[in-house]
Amino acid sequence: MKQHLLAVVSPYLPMYPATVVYMLQNTEYRAGPYLAWYWRTQNFARVAARRQLRLTWAARLLLLALTAGMLLEIAAGLLLIALWYYRGFTGGWAFGLALLVAYPVVWAHLVVVPLLLGRLCIVKPRENRLIRASEHIFRQHPGMKIAIAGSYGKTSMKELLLQVLGEGKTVAATPANKNVAISHAYFAKALQGDEDIVLIEYGEGAPGDVARFARITHPTHAVITGVAAAHLDRYRTTQAAAEDIFSIARFLPDKAHCYVNDESAAAAPFIEPQFQRYGHGGALGWKVTDVQVDISGLSFVLAKGKRVLRLRSGLLGRHQLGPLSLAAALASESGLSDGQITAGIARTKPFEHRMQPYMLGGAWIIDDTYNGNIEGIRAGTALLRELPARRKLYVTPGLVDQGAEAAQNHAEMGQLIAASGADVVVLMQNSTTADIRRGLAQAKYGGEVRVEPRPLDFYTNLAHFVSAGDLVLMQNDWPDNYA
Amino acid sequence: METIAVIFGGRSAEHDVSIVTALASVIKPLELTRKYRVEAVYIAKDGAWYWDEKLKDIALFTSGRIQDFIHKAPAASVQFDGGMTLVKASGIAGRKTVRKIDVVFPAMHGTYGEDGALAGLLDMAGIPYVGCGLAASALAMDKVLAKQVAAAHGIPVTEFLVFDRRELEHEPAAALRSITQTLRYPLFIKPAHLGSSIGITRAADETALRNGMEVAAHYDDKILVEEGVPNLIEVTLPVMGNGRLTPALLERPLTRAEDFFDFETKYLQGGKKGGGKAGKGTKGAQGYSELPAKLPGDLYGRAEAAGLAAYRALGCSGIARVDMLIDAKAEKIYFNEINPLPGDLYAHNWNRAGVSNVDLVQKLVQLGKERHQERASLATTFTTNYLQQF
Repeated sequence: MKQHLLAVVSPYLPMYPATVVYMLQNTEYRAGPYLAWYWRTQNFARVAARRQLRLTWAARLLLLALTAGMLLEIAAGLLLIALWYYRGFTGGWAFGLALLVAYPVVWAHLVVVPLLLGRLCIVKPRENRLIRASEHIFRQHPGMKIAIAGSYGKTSMKELLLQVLGEGKTVAATPANKNVAISHAYFAKALQGDEDIVLIEYGEGAPGDVARFARITHPTHAVITGVAAAHLDRYRTTQAAAEDIFSIARFLPDKAHCYVNDESAAAAPFIEPQFQRYGHGGALGWKVTDVQVDISGLSFVLAKGKRVLRLRSGLLGRHQLGPLSLAAALASESGLSDGQITAGIARTKPFEHRMQPYMLGGAWIIDDTYNGNIEGIRAGTALLRELPARRKLYVTPGLVDQGAEAAQNHAEMGQLIAASGADVVVLMQNSTTADIRRGLAQAKYGGEVRVEPRPLDFYTNLAHFVSAGDLVLMQNDWPDNYA
Repeated sequence: METIAVIFGGRSAEHDVSIVTALASVIKPLELTRKYRVEAVYIAKDGAWYWDEKLKDIALFTSGRIQDFIHKAPAASVQFDGGMTLVKASGIAGRKTVRKIDVVFPAMHGTYGEDGALAGLLDMAGIPYVGCGLAASALAMDKVLAKQVAAAHGIPVTEFLVFDRRELEHEPAAALRSITQTLRYPLFIKPAHLGSSIGITRAADETALRNGMEVAAHYDDKILVEEGVPNLIEVTLPVMGNGRLTPALLERPLTRAEDFFDFETKYLQGGKKGGGKAGKGTKGAQGYSELPAKLPGDLYGRAEAAGLAAYRALGCSGIARVDMLIDAKAEKIYFNEINPLPGDLYAHNWNRAGVSNVDLVQKLVQLGKERHQERASLATTFTTNYLQQF
């Protein structure tokens, strides 16, 4: 009852304008996702569960405008009621009351108008100009241009190639996870033109994205890291996502320069005979043997003919063998020496929030919160199974953007977790929890399952839950704009 | 959902330590279990009881706003109605807010809390509570009695003498004479009933001895003077359990040989006395220490066994921490004292031993309930025709 009451009055609480700006900020000021989130929200007092509003200049400006607009409307409402009361202004009370009741909803929608206009009239035209200019830069660039596409592991693959190839070549790569057309355009502007290798990450999110990126960036080589259910809000099916990702091969001068992760089951039907495969067994004729996995990384031997490389990487998990082998193989084909390849691989370490280990009160925490697909779950749970620990904990909120495959994927996720040897499973309560629990039950999971209604409380107090010898795998993030 | 009252603060020199124990090591982990409703019950320095959600915020105490709170908030009272119920005025039309308590988690250190006074009150109320019972708490809080009980159970203790404050006031020369004739320097002078190393002095000569006795007499009416242990290794062992005991890890505070682990070192200098040159170690809530303690030969096993024996000898239950002194050359272990409610529950040590904070508080609650059930099954009445004779 109290919760229902709070939900009803929540748009009238003083924090409401900040909540609206927070929602805009977390949807990157895009009208569609913001409005979808707004319309599905029942209690505005509970929106910001994971993060807080960052008071950037844009946020401050919007907050100021929104608060001023709301205050104006409240003043107008009160004025109309006063006119009706003192001067007998016909309908004054009704219109006044309507303004007073409706102001939160009205301004939550009005705030979108300047954003839409700004995007349409200023931002979009400027971005289109930049993107057109970048097409020319990429077309003229003489270096090897490697596009990296896939549903997961793109940023890791790109960073890996950058580190290993960078040991002997001049390499430029799109920064961090900036992987859409406008990011490519800014990246092109910064290119010197004398780079031996250019690495371009493709952040596809809707049908046709990959082809559009390829027409602008003119790749000579492509790495497809794998296919899994992701962005199914736009793709609808994993099949559609795979078709988009594999469309990159059409733009390559030679299909033999398309390297595909053959550990990805969803990618398998799309692999053409000319493509080259890589995986835990090796890449481009290099074979992997003598693998050792521990919390500090991965050791293995990579051999081709008489050449034998003893490699050590800071990356975690056997699923990294394929990307590491491909990086070493491409480095070899690019003319790097064995010493350079060994040094490059040795320099590789986990990227932020991607299988990144750290110690907390004597427990090992593996932060894989950036992961967001079933293949990542498969890799993470396999790693949890392989590493020794006094007690194993698995923590997840589930996967976002799984579309119609959500129930099936989360049940599968539950089964993978059950097989990981986790003693405790901590689930952040949301719409996926029941499906994960169904998967755990199907796999007859016998450990402890803990459902956390307040995720932030759990994450910020993690130290209270762990002790020395524990191993905690935290996979996936669940931003506030998902239900 | 069970309701647990965490009682902290109190009329004790260790009032502030109790606040940190309660808020950081008890209330937070209990709430994180999501199995209990947790009520914060604060006993102010004047003995008044307060019960409020705001008392869970450490900033209330660190900022000094607690004085305003005490000034404005109505004091709570406790009703013993076949259990325990917290009562306070709600401020709305004279209505009262009440909360029935299922389990009490005392987070009190020192007098009127850790010394058995609170345990006795809760025994009378017939409510389960965490930690040692009345008798064990009272014994543990009297360093002299604790040594005598340990010695009676064959656990070695250092040579010591006991003085009454009045004895020191009226015949200080006689007291000093008996000390210098019986004991060897260096000596340690301690108030018999205080914890957290408050009021303890190390004396290497008569001047320091006089001063130390004055300091101790300022805090207590019973003063313990004991011999120091040569080639000293100080160790401490947290223990948990009722009948079946679980030791945590033997921990060695990293202090210089000429220092001892006093209040300042424990709580104010982060464990680093003498400019923080204590060397490498684990930083627990109470400073730097070697965890687990690296002891030569079979000393670790023997010290652990001695710690468990002392816990049993004093009749402890729930949780306690046993402090021991080791003569490294002679490889002799002495019982020093026992702490029925270690500051912060010694959670850092339990964590290293594989017990998380959340698991620790849950286990302690469970142990408290088990002991209550065991006691409830005992007959407390005996039918006679005694009254009919009158």
